[in-house]
Formats: sequence, C-alpha cells, structure tokens
Amino acid sequence: MLFPTFDFAIFFAIAFTVNWLTNPYPVAWKLSMLGLSYVFYGWVGWSYCLLLVATTTIAFIGGTAVSAAAGERARRVAMGLSCAGLLGLLGWFKYYGFVSVNLDNFTHALGIGRAIPLLQVALPIAISFYTFMALSYVIDIYRRQLQPARPLDLALYLSFFPHLLAGPIVRGNELLPQLRRRRDPRAVDYSRALWLIMAGLFKKVVISSYVSTAIVQPVFTAPAQHSAPEAIFAAWGYAVQIYCDFSGYTDIAIGLALLLGIRFPINFNAPYTARNLQDFWRRWHITLSRWLRDYLYIPLGGSSGSEAQTVRNIMITMVLGGLWHGAAWTFVFWGALHGLGQAVGHVRRRSRVRRGLPAVAEGPVRIWVQRFLTFQFVCLGWVFFNAGGLSNAFAMLGRALSAWGRPSPLVTPLLALVIVGTVVSQLVPAVRVERLQAMFSRQRSVVQVGVLAVLLLGITTFGPVGVAPFIYYRF
Amino acid sequence: MSETAPPTETPGTGTDHHDRLRAPWPRVLKVGVAAFLVWLVLFAPTLQHNAKVSPVGTRRTVALDILGPIAAASRALQLSRIVSETDALTGRTGNQPGNGSVTVIGPGHRHSPPPKKPGGGHGGPSTGGGGGPTTTVAGMTNPSAADPLRVLILGDSLGIDMGGPLQNDLANTGVVSATLDARESTGLTRPDYFNWPAELQSDLGTARPQVVVVMIGANDPQDFPGPPDVPYSSPQWNVLYAGRVAAFMQLAQSEGATVLWMGMPPMQSPQLSSEMADIDALDQRQAALCTPPVHFISSWTLLGTPQGTYAPFITNGAGQVVNVRTPDGIHLTPAGGEVLAQAVLNYLRGPLHITLP
Repeated sequence: MLFPTFDFAIFFAIAFTVNWLTNPYPVAWKLSMLGLSYVFYGWVGWSYCLLLVATTTIAFIGGTAVSAAAGERARRVAMGLSCAGLLGLLGWFKYYGFVSVNLDNFTHALGIGRAIPLLQVALPIAISFYTFMALSYVIDIYRRQLQPARPLDLALYLSFFPHLLAGPIVRGNELLPQLRRRRDPRAVDYSRALWLIMAGLFKKVVISSYVSTAIVQPVFTAPAQHSAPEAIFAAWGYAVQIYCDFSGYTDIAIGLALLLGIRFPINFNAPYTARNLQDFWRRWHITLSRWLRDYLYIPLGGSSGSEAQTVRNIMITMVLGGLWHGAAWTFVFWGALHGLGQAVGHVRRRSRVRRGLPAVAEGPVRIWVQRFLTFQFVCLGWVFFNAGGLSNAFAMLGRALSAWGRPSPLVTPLLALVIVGTVVSQLVPAVRVERLQAMFSRQRSVVQVGVLAVLLLGITTFGPVGVAPFIYYRF
Repeated sequence: MSETAPPTETPGTGTDHHDRLRAPWPRVLKVGVAAFLVWLVLFAPTLQHNAKVSPVGTRRTVALDILGPIAAASRALQLSRIVSETDALTGRTGNQPGNGSVTVIGPGHRHSPPPKKPGGGHGGPSTGGGGGPTTTVAGMTNPSAADPLRVLILGDSLGIDMGGPLQNDLANTGVVSATLDARESTGLTRPDYFNWPAELQSDLGTARPQVVVVMIGANDPQDFPGPPDVPYSSPQWNVLYAGRVAAFMQLAQSEGATVLWMGMPPMQSPQLSSEMADIDALDQRQAALCTPPVHFISSWTLLGTPQGTYAPFITNGAGQVVNVRTPDGIHLTPAGGEVLAQAVLNYLRGPLHITLP
C-alpha cells in the first residue's frame, strides 16, 4: 500500500481509531496493530507476508537461543547461525539472480559449464529493511544490549506498518520499549505529526514527481539525446528527486507513527548542507549509516588500526552499503565511489591533524566551497545510482563534459528554481519550523481543518494523477 | 569513518518543543477527518474523473457510486472551480496520463526542415516479400547530421523500456533526431484515460516524423467501459479493438511516415502471455491490412525462448547471458530494451534501407 493514496488514507483512519481504542488493552493493541501491519504489507501480495513471518521466526529463535546459550562460544554460534539464516533469505531473494548471471558469464569466459541455475527470483518489497532490523535485534542480544522480546512484541517491532516498507531502520531498544508501554491518549503530538505528513506529501507528490518528469527521466533514459546543461541539471535534479522522495517517505512514516503515539528516530538532517562525505553520511539515511557503522564498520576494526586498515574498512563498508541498495554493478560502483571519497577525506583529515591543523578547514568561504564540492561529488554518485547500467552512467558523464553548445529545452527557469529552492530550503533552521508547528497547534479546530484542507488540495492539485512508488521501496 | 568521529550521529527521537500543544486523540481524529472531507468535496470532480478512467470492475463501480453525489454537490456549489481554475492557470488540462510519462523532443526537431511528403502521402511503396513488407523511407536513405532522419517513438510502459535505449542508440548515430513519447499505464482501450490518437495527431504536427515506432498493447486486455461495458476478448471487443488499432496505424501513416509496430513479448504469467499473443496476432493482421503495410516486428522470440515462452535471461550475440526482464515478469530491463532497440535499428538498416552509422 502506498502512503499517498486514497486506500491508505482510509486504512490509516481505521488504524488510528483502532490504535487509540485498544490502547488501554496492551495485548489487544499489539494484536490489532500486528494484524493491520500485515494487511498493509499483504496489500501488495499476500505471499510476501510469509517471508516476514519467516524472518520474524528466525529472529525470535535466534534471539532466544543467543540469550539462553551457555558460554560465549555457544552464544557466538547461535548469533552466527541466526544471522546466516536472515542473510540467506535476503541473499536468495535479492542477490541470487545477480550472482547467477555474473557467475555464469565468468564460468562461460573460462570455458566451464554453468555453475548454478539461472533463476529470476521476485524481490519482496521491504526485505532489506526488515532483515537489517532483525539482524540488529539478534546482534544486540548477543552484545547484551537488548533482552529477548516476546514473540508478539518482536513480530510487531519488525512489521509495524509506518516503518515497514522503507524505514527508518529502527533499533530494538528504540521501538520495543515503546510497544510495551501505553501511550498517552490525551497528548498526541499532532501538529508536528501533521507537519511531517504534509511536508512529506509535498516533497514526494509535487517536487519529486515534477523534477522526475521534467528532466531526470528524459535525460537518464536517453543521455545521448541531450546537452551538457541538461545532463548536469538531470544529475542535480536526481539529487533533489531522491531526497524529496526518500525523506518525504520518512517524514510521512515518522508523522504517522507520531499520531499513533510512537516516536521514530530521524533519518535525514539537511544532507545537502554537508561539508564533506563523512558529514553527508551523518545526515543522509542516518539509520542505515549508523547500522553500517555499528554492525559492520566497527566490527571490522573501524579506525583503530593502521591507516591502510581503516581505508580497507571504509571501502568494505561502503561497497556493501552500496550493494544493500540493489543487486547491480552501478550500486557497487556508487558505494565504492563514496568509499573512496571518504577514504581520501579520512587520510586528509589525519594528515591535517598530524600537522597541527584542525581536521576540517574552517572559515565562511571555505564552508560554502566545501558544501558545494560535497554536493557535486554526491551528485556524481547519484548518476551511477540512477543509471540503468554503467555504460549509461558514463554516457551521462560524457554528455556533461562534451555536449556544450547545444539547445537545452529541458532546463527551464522553473526547474532551476525548484532545484535550487529545495537545496537552499535545507538551510532553514529547525527552530523556525518548530515555531510554525507550535503556531498551528494553538489555532482553533476550524482553522486547523481549513489549513489542512488547503494544503491537501494544493498537493493533490499540483501533483500528478498517479503517484509513482517511492524509490526506496525497491531496496 | 572512525569511532571518535562516527559516520552518523545517533538520531534523536524527535524534538520536544514545549510551545507545541498536544491534543486528545478524538480531537485529532475530528480535525483530520474534517479536513479530509473538505478536501474530498473540493477535489471530488477530479477523483470522479480518475475513477471513471480506472479499469472496469467493482472498485470502479463503488468509487463512482460514492463520488458521484459528492462531485455533483461540489459542482453545484461551484467549489470544484477552485481546482479547475488552478488547472487552467497552470496549463494542466487535457491529455494527462499521470506519472511515468516520458516526453522527449529531440533537439533536432526545432531546426528540422518540413518533411518531404512522398508521393500519395504514404511512406513509400511496399515491395512485400521476405518476413514482412519491404520499403524505403522516401528521401531518407542517407540521413545526415544536417538533414537527420526524424523518428517518433510511441509506447506504454514497455514502450518506455524499449524507447529509451532506442532513442539513445538513434541519437548516437548522429544522423537521427528521435522523439520519445511514452506513457505508463496507457493503451488504445481507454482513450478516456489517455487519448493516444489525439496525442499522435499532436506529435505528428510537432515531430513531423518520417518513421514512427509504436509499442503499445500491454494494458489493453481490459473491458471497454460502457454503458454497456464490452468485456475483454468478446467478439465485440475484438472488432472494436481491431478498429482502433487500424485507425491508429492509419493515423500514424497519414503524414507519410513509415510505421514500425513492435509486438508485445511473452509474459511470465501464462494468462497475460496468452493475452499478449492475442493482441500481437490482432496487431499483425491489422498491420498487413494497411496500405502500405505497417512493418510488424515480433519481440516474441527476441525476448523469449526459441519455443516462444517467457525467458528472464537470454544469451546475446557475444555469448553472454543477460537479464532482459524485470522481476515483475512484465517489463524489460535496460538490457531487454536494448535487444528490441537493436532489432529496430537492424530493421531500419535492413528492410528499410536506411544508412545509419
């Protein structure tokens, strides 16, 4: 079920009412929320629910086994087996086709016969997200940072519909305690929630759709047809599109959860104001970044070893992070590009510190130059992220470098305004937004109804007739 | 990345601002539902239109039953004018198919000379024979950068999958100016949702194509809305649909363009695959009946097994296995689109005798 649809509006009105009516009865609340979450997920295809059940079962058995195991070795074995089971499901559904094709071509080049059968496995929506949540649950128990949850709690933690399809990737210690206690039915933080939902809808339905149709789709579809300014604006446009799409989804998810009395962690923090790539990853898809840091980068050794080891750990983390987004060489390349950029930044920062300089150069002009260059590097990465293949990505870059002096009918003042406006809007201080939320919360009901209706009308009027699925759904 | 300066800060759990008032949930529900209802009344005519153009079935019937009275009230109270005036101001009226549309006018079109109409207003004589009609694109056997061949590519979502690589490949020749006009979820069954004949008429005026490549049909196995509804695959449906295909082909040829019609490939779902085979057969019959004949290119074996069944992977000319279909079992991967694009290029170079680098 997509958030910006009529179906979901009706679904959520029911879910909201059921949520608060069953709030005094914990078991009834959990059962009803679990049932609604499975209806939400099953709306796409009921067979997917079986995979969610399987993931939950593995996580539950794994978490319980880790907790009950006597001795560190047994704990490690139980944790390892659970993670292998969870990753096995993810690997089969997400990566088998990619691996089998590449392996087949490799063995063909060596003159060897087919190593494994060629199969196209349907990719269940959201599998990457709930698999990572299940992995963190088992590993946190292994690390003694989390107690095993009851089956119902765990099932709801993994399937809770606001985060189910595209995150945020919520940790067990963030969500499980909230599922165990009753929410205050007299104090719904609705003004913040409604702001997030409206902002998310606007970003997704209006901005992301417009930029996609106006420049991103046409240019990425056929780069050879377009001029250098169009290729450059398409890369910038995709930066805006994916930000509005994914942060829009996250805003809606956080807002919906808030209406149900549940708080999610933030997932974006003005990413295009980042001054370097390390800073960017502290601001973009924050819950994935911290997952990769805590469950991959630090276990690999983090930055505690030599410079070469740190660079290796950064590269492994970023390449696997790229591969998490999709089974294609473009994502591997995208991850490697970010890894390389971060590695260079890391070496440079250490070098500066050794010379007695601050790790990052300061000064108003430098800050803006750093922001500008970081944004351009991120856009370079987005070209690989969005291109259908590496050849297409290089064709885009080739056009950006060579196709000057041609007409650029797709680059319009409105497009430029939308792209610049979206990036600049990230500089608006959060306190101003909070003031608006507070102002809205103090209005009379009739005013609030009017404001919401006008906002909805604006979004639906300026958006397209149908809304494309969120980009991150396919990850 | 480092532990001392981690790649992410631990996110907070939202900002608590004490100036922000909270409210009991019944009040929030009332405000939310009231706002939704106000929006519903204002937007009802648009929603009613969207319901009308959705596939025939229970969902559509129920939606129309509910939205009918609300839309009538909205119109009677003149409330719907807010939306219609806004649409008029922003130019969002007319043929609007929703998301997923790709319309790319090639830069060459702005500077192209008017098309040279071949004799009789048709795309040249068909010599017949071989696997299909053989012809030439009048006056265009040797296009150049100064006088490029103008190609118009039309399609549904599979047309987008093929059209992107095709447009790119054509642009790479340096002697073709290609226009891609493809729309998701469209077809010839539902002009109430998207009017392809009107769109084609407009494209013929702006792109002035010498070659039109069409890939439409994946969304067409559905009922014609009535009253009375004409059920898909009924004898009346076949007659009606064949008429629409024929009219569309003739319209594409009406300004003298040579028309290439790319057939639908086999699908993973046996039922959908069978429907596509029926659509292909019907298209192929109509293509042969046109004067001059429309060039029908079958994608069935290009993207399927030699036996004509669905194949997610095929072996390309270099002996490499490539994934040509997306996991939904319907659409094409970029590699799949490229297979069809190459088939069109080969057809232009071969039976149509156009010299392309």
